Amino acid sequence: MKLTKTLVLMATAAVMAMSATTAFAGAKIFVIGGKPDDPFWGIVKRGAEDAAKVVEAQGGSVTWLGPQNYDNLGVDAAELIRQAIAQGATGVVGPDWVPDAMDPAFKAVKDAKIPLVIYNAGGIQAADRLGALNYVGAIDYKAGVAGGEYLAKAGAKKGVCINSLPGAANIEDYCKGFKEGLEKNGATYDVLPLPATAEGNVGAVSEAFKAYLASHPDTDAAFTTANLDAIGVAQGISAAGMDGKVKFCGINFDEGILNQIKEGKQACAIDQQGYQQGFYAVSILNGFINYGLTIATREILTGPGVVDSTTIDATMAGAKEGTR
Amino acid sequence: MELIRKLLRGPAAAAVLSLIAVVAFYVIVGRANLLELGAAASWLNFAANLGIIALPVGLLMIAGEIDISFGAMIPAGAITIALLSGTYGLPIEVGILGSLGLGAIVGLINGLLTTRTKVPSLLITLGTLTIMQGVVLWGAMSLAGNASIPLKSPDWAKFLFGHLIGNSHQVVIVWWVVMALAFGFFLHKTRYGNWIFALGGDRNSARNAGVPTTKMTIALFIMSAMAACFVGMCGAIQFNTTQVSGGMSYIFNVIASVVVGGVLLTGGFGSVTGIFIGTLTFAIVNKGISFTAINPNWANLIIGTTLVLAMLMNEYFRKKALAYSPKKV
Amino acid sequence: MADTISARSGRLGQLLRRPEAGIFLGLIAVYIIFAVLGGEKFIGPSGWSSWLNVAAEVGIIALPVSLLMIAGYLDISVGAVVPASSLAVALISNHFGMPIVVGIAGGLAVGLLVGFVNGLLVTRTSVPSLIITIGTMFGTMGLALGLTVWIKGSTGVFLVADPVTKLIFGEALGGMFRVGIFWWLAIAAAFYYLLHVSPWGNGVFAMGGDRESARNAGIPTDRLTIQLYMLSGLASAFVGVLQIIANSNAQVAAGSTFIFNSIMCVAIGGVALTGGAGSVLGVVLGTIIFSVVTQGVFYSGLDTNLVSIVIGAMFLLAVLTNDSFRNFIQIFFSKSK
Repeated sequence: MKLTKTLVLMATAAVMAMSATTAFAGAKIFVIGGKPDDPFWGIVKRGAEDAAKVVEAQGGSVTWLGPQNYDNLGVDAAELIRQAIAQGATGVVGPDWVPDAMDPAFKAVKDAKIPLVIYNAGGIQAADRLGALNYVGAIDYKAGVAGGEYLAKAGAKKGVCINSLPGAANIEDYCKGFKEGLEKNGATYDVLPLPATAEGNVGAVSEAFKAYLASHPDTDAAFTTANLDAIGVAQGISAAGMDGKVKFCGINFDEGILNQIKEGKQACAIDQQGYQQGFYAVSILNGFINYGLTIATREILTGPGVVDSTTIDATMAGAKEGTR
Repeated sequence: MELIRKLLRGPAAAAVLSLIAVVAFYVIVGRANLLELGAAASWLNFAANLGIIALPVGLLMIAGEIDISFGAMIPAGAITIALLSGTYGLPIEVGILGSLGLGAIVGLINGLLTTRTKVPSLLITLGTLTIMQGVVLWGAMSLAGNASIPLKSPDWAKFLFGHLIGNSHQVVIVWWVVMALAFGFFLHKTRYGNWIFALGGDRNSARNAGVPTTKMTIALFIMSAMAACFVGMCGAIQFNTTQVSGGMSYIFNVIASVVVGGVLLTGGFGSVTGIFIGTLTFAIVNKGISFTAINPNWANLIIGTTLVLAMLMNEYFRKKALAYSPKKV
Repeated sequence: MADTISARSGRLGQLLRRPEAGIFLGLIAVYIIFAVLGGEKFIGPSGWSSWLNVAAEVGIIALPVSLLMIAGYLDISVGAVVPASSLAVALISNHFGMPIVVGIAGGLAVGLLVGFVNGLLVTRTSVPSLIITIGTMFGTMGLALGLTVWIKGSTGVFLVADPVTKLIFGEALGGMFRVGIFWWLAIAAAFYYLLHVSPWGNGVFAMGGDRESARNAGIPTDRLTIQLYMLSGLASAFVGVLQIIANSNAQVAAGSTFIFNSIMCVAIGGVALTGGAGSVLGVVLGTIIFSVVTQGVFYSGLDTNLVSIVIGAMFLLAVLTNDSFRNFIQIFFSKSK
């Protein structure tokens, strides 16, 4: 009978699964990060996975928990933090994207006496406030500032921030920082929020920006907050016939973006070295859990670093490897 | 034994069995820890937030309509209470009423436009979805200067809408179960429920038979929008923060849950039990994956396969139940 | 005299009574508003190229999706096939160094394969097509991410195509008009023939009406369904090819907006969610309305925070104009009998 056959198969699978060796002892580290198909977070994950090789060699495990989308960043991340506790984490690495929503969850981590490292967002203030060992990362706001300063110092007078996810805390910080960087150096700021129909769609971003330039022709600087947006903006500038008149910088980069910088289509990319964030955060926790080691410099900044045509060649080698 | 056989033939049985099969799959093949899975609230929280909206949306679909505007009503509900009680400091009661009131108004608009014109509800609610996304963004930026608005709530509001039971389970789970029971009674035990099925079968026949089709349709749209605002509102009270964007993925998830629960996109068929269990199944498939040892890079592949397998098992068990005939002694 | 008048109003009446007339009127309404708001930039080549470019990409996908919807099916997997195809082209031609032709063939093959699986699962099981294609969507996304990271070590692949390939697939004429537009129009013409001229199209409509009756009438519904899904997969894969050649960059995360947007174009174009009726012309007009509305707003110079409100209002205006026009025509032409 079909049902008994299914049951027998399931039982066999169960026996086989149980007999496989499972790792125990060592650190059980949970890393809360972005969604796995996000180009930036893929690099952070790479760093975490490379550090995981050491963790596993010492008998531990590293599990990556990420939301499926950025619709409700703070809430989803808070849930994931609590899930890590429920799954028996002995160490948690997390970003403090939205303090209002996530602090109570981080507090629960501390209450459960689980060592904590904050990375990617929140700064050393978050690490201090939440009782974490260290902070490893850049400051999103400062990344925006770096972009604004770079462009303003290169002569820009009117800048626009392309916001493809209005309301998401990290994107808002980028744009706010960009505003400060521009205004402190004598330029003006505007923002172009894109509707949901354009997210991840290079063509839609490019057309929207081209149209924006048509109605704001004296714009000479722009800032992008996502990898695909940078491609779209470069195309939009060309399509509007304003090559060379509009300079832009963007957050993060990949091979395609580096190529744009090399060809002069993009002025700079702000790097927060995501690989380092994943790598060091996991390594610090592993060392602490297993051997009680600490890093006394509690704030470990991995950015912002500016990549432009002067530093392009070395960076490209890393990008090919998927580590930059 | 006879009782078990009887239960196995009930409409929900197939759905429950496929739910068990999904869990078994994750536990056995994915090496998920069953105790951890049971204790963890993440999937239940996810299910509850989806489920509260899935109930009225599911009823709308049974009645032959569809509502996608809830994708914007969730952040709308959240931002409204955050603006009223956070930015403007009004008492939380005003915020709650404002949030739910907004849902009632938008639901009314959806219902009126759908019943007064021949435009399909998919397109009407597409329009209100996009407009509300803009209204929420513009409202937040103009009134609070920020696309993310914080909110502090008094204890009683937190207790009712936004606290964690046992430090892990959101209280919306309780709301969800209560609403499911209420909706179940409404759909399956009252004449209003019959009317909804009639609407989904053939609107004109229903009207000729005396069913107040217009009023029912409008009422369902109001319920749907209010449910979405309620979910957004609870999230705001629970997490002390709100975000302008977001909610688009809910559209996808809610409709998938409703269809997994056996509601037909063409209308006229479905059950509240089905919607409830469909939501649970969808939540477990989606969230359970992170309890397994499977590399997140491959997670989506497993989710897709498991979803289809769950539905296949659902169909299999249902056919078995329907074909069953008691042995004659 | 009376004969000529009634004959003319008969032909005109026939034209006006067609469902596409109302959709076209809706398009005119929104276009006029954006022309007023956006001025000469919108009416000029810049504006035309904006919405045409957007229309081309979503339009190519909307065409087979509309046929599926007429036949009573949905295809959610398009959102995953587009980036999967882009990645396949880039991986084959960049990472593995094969000629671009092989890469493009590989990308298209991905679409055909996913379409085949969709069609098979939909016809062999009684699971609703919504769930099947959600499943294949997740599956394709998962495979794309897993394989790309495994082979390349990152979530994106980079590829610069040679000038000839770029000209055929990725060039922007005059810096503004992408060749995709011409591909779209050609594909639309082909679909018009398929649906409205060839007998194959009758099968599609019949299936949307009542699948059982269609099968009893001798229409090979299973084979037709698989063909429809493979067409959809092929079209999505083709858009993926266009994108990688034009953008030089393929990311796993791209493409999800096509699911929602293509269904919207089809629905605005007069195809019901429940199937059975629709036309290629309607879908083309619906696609244009979608693109004009989502792009025209950026030419209007309005406060950027109002963008979504304007888009939503314009959508409603288009469909309500269509609705009012249909009512008017019904009343007008039933009076003059």
